[in-house]
Amino acid sequence: MQNVKSKMHNFNVKFKNFIFLFLILNFTFLIFNLTGCGGGAGQGDRIQPAVTINAWHWMTDRDDAFAELAARYEKKTGVKVKFELYAPSDSYTQKVRAAAQAGTLPDIFGLLGEKRDFASFVIAGHVANLDSEMLRDNAAWKNKFFSRAIAVNEFLPDNEFKVEPGVYGVPLDVMNIQMLYNKKLLKDAGIKRPPKTWDEFLAMGEKFKESGVQGLVSGWGEMWMIDCFASNYAFNIMGEEKVMKTIKGEIPYTDPEWIAVFNLFKEMADNNILYNGIVTMVNKTAEQLFANERAAFAFNGSWCVNVYAGMNPDLDYGVMFPPAKGDFLMKAWGGAGSSFLVNGRSLFKQETIDFLRWLSDDEQQAYLAEVTKNLPANKDCITKLTPVLASFAKAMEDTTHPNIWPVHEFPLVIEAFDKGIQAIIIGEKSPAEIAVEVQKVKEKELNKRRQY
Amino acid sequence: MDINLKHIIIRRTKLSFIYVLLSIVALTCVFPLLWMLGSSLKTQSTVFSDPSLIPASPEWNNYYLAWTKGEFGVYFLNSVFYTTAVVFGIIIISSLAAYGFSRLKFPGSNILFHMFLAAMMIPLPGSFVPLYVLVNNIRKVLLEFLTAISPFLIKIFPAHFVQQSIAFIQHQAFPRTAYVFCMINVGLSLSIYILKTFFDKMPGALEDAARIDGCNKLGIWRHVALPLARPALAVITIFNALNVWNEYILAQLILSSKETMPLQRGLIVFQGMHVTDYPLLMAGMTMTAIPIIIIYLIFQKHIIKGITAGAVVG
Repeated sequence: MQNVKSKMHNFNVKFKNFIFLFLILNFTFLIFNLTGCGGGAGQGDRIQPAVTINAWHWMTDRDDAFAELAARYEKKTGVKVKFELYAPSDSYTQKVRAAAQAGTLPDIFGLLGEKRDFASFVIAGHVANLDSEMLRDNAAWKNKFFSRAIAVNEFLPDNEFKVEPGVYGVPLDVMNIQMLYNKKLLKDAGIKRPPKTWDEFLAMGEKFKESGVQGLVSGWGEMWMIDCFASNYAFNIMGEEKVMKTIKGEIPYTDPEWIAVFNLFKEMADNNILYNGIVTMVNKTAEQLFANERAAFAFNGSWCVNVYAGMNPDLDYGVMFPPAKGDFLMKAWGGAGSSFLVNGRSLFKQETIDFLRWLSDDEQQAYLAEVTKNLPANKDCITKLTPVLASFAKAMEDTTHPNIWPVHEFPLVIEAFDKGIQAIIIGEKSPAEIAVEVQKVKEKELNKRRQY
Repeated sequence: MDINLKHIIIRRTKLSFIYVLLSIVALTCVFPLLWMLGSSLKTQSTVFSDPSLIPASPEWNNYYLAWTKGEFGVYFLNSVFYTTAVVFGIIIISSLAAYGFSRLKFPGSNILFHMFLAAMMIPLPGSFVPLYVLVNNIRKVLLEFLTAISPFLIKIFPAHFVQQSIAFIQHQAFPRTAYVFCMINVGLSLSIYILKTFFDKMPGALEDAARIDGCNKLGIWRHVALPLARPALAVITIFNALNVWNEYILAQLILSSKETMPLQRGLIVFQGMHVTDYPLLMAGMTMTAIPIIIIYLIFQKHIIKGITAGAVVG
């Protein structure tokens, strides 16, 4: 019992010390903040300028650039713009959704997700229609952007979401997906220039084998990238109209031209063009391999410029459109970049629009491109870009994206399509077999739609 | 002699096997930490090309860059504040509640206790939106109240001071307090459960002795139950400290300016949409992990005792 009492006494002393320390710590913290020593904590709140625009974003690599541009804008106009970064993108999305429900969205925010989510925000009145501003002075503002960049922020008349037609977002940057080649590795393999046709591309496989160089690397374990590559060639081999007719269900996937698309993957696998293990590879790994000069070609998006600069600043590479196989215009996936939306209930709506107009101007867009190495949405500043970024930018008008297609393929068909291509690459099934399988899924889905 | 030798050989073989197994497990635990440490001393290009654990020419500057670029100073202080406030709150509230559930007989105590247990099953993301809406509504009410009383306050204090104080409450004090309360709420269920199990096994004679010495119920909790629950309190402290120190999702939802954010906010600076600055990220993570490792080392002797609590209490 004596021992217990002594323990209790010790504990009481420690408990008192703990409470004392706790109070001291919190008091110090309070004083620290009240006196404004906390790294400027709350200082911005004390001397409020006439207008303060609040902006939320998720783009970690652009946070410093936004802060710098906000400082420039404040100096120029006296309007304070406060950017707050919330990342990663999943938790940013949660924050935006919660704020929408509570009615506390900031003046500027971005939306991540599908077009139907975008539409639901517009219908709920959270996003301002910018059409009148975009179309003013002969659409001067709208015409500054790549058409694809506007398309992802635009709802056309009679859209399936029943949203009032108009432009609802200001694009910041764009992206497109092309092929990249390592100049040194091509030279090592005895190849003088990148391929212009599909046959030239396949013929390189033999030279890669002789010189021990691996061919094409890409994140085809993430199936959307396979879809993207196949879509390029579907447009190239059969043309946009036939692709859309297939999605509508008017042309089957067993059509010889679709089998030709599937066959491209077999040809690449047979001709030693593909990197070993490409079907299970995530894009991050593919980026590391290309940056470390382990593969001669990569199929990747324009964001890779930033990635490769970080991984290997000395990497000497060029950008090319995938080598053509058919006679139709090849269209790469692109357009969907980051955009800012204006809160439909913002107290400073006009000031916010004015800021975004300034942000999307040539000088600011060129600055963002220089600092972040992303493709700017403003097409007028293309001359101010680095050669590699400029190569990506030049292809912007030859891009497309499933989000802007008038019809959309069933998710299960897309899955069967992409998995089928993986099976072709590993030699499990033939292109004709996959075409039949995909068509079966398509018919099943079409039947379901007819029933309901 | 032969039997003894055989016995020794079997025992040593068994022990060797156990040690090898434990060493492998320990290595798998330590390796990520070593990798983190090694990567924090490399450059962005060597982190992908240099396979060695510790680079030949370590980049110690990464720690300075991580601290300054990630603005760890403010975040560090914020995290220390949130962790101490939440852990303190949880210890006080959960020990009072657990003591009540264990020792006070009142109608519905079982139902109430099981409701607390059921709360453990609700995943945190499920409560995000309601929590945010609740916090925001309270903020609105508070702001309306402050706006209403500000004319009176201005008569007593200088207008500038009143304005500053309201701004401070709105942007600093309220979000911080709201976050602390939310995190206390998150940690309560498990803590009450652990402490109640502990108090259930506390001998009644100790309470009787304290009562004879003139203690009321609160006195027994303060002078008898709490000191005896030290191992359980250590477990609660370490579990909750870890939880708060590493928490970021709720902080991001409730806190609206970066000056109020915890340490984890500093780390996301190095994780871009497409590019991650691994050396600085690893340097930041190393700095973030050190305090929590120290807390763990301080409390580790109590942890096993606390987890297996209840064998003998008192």
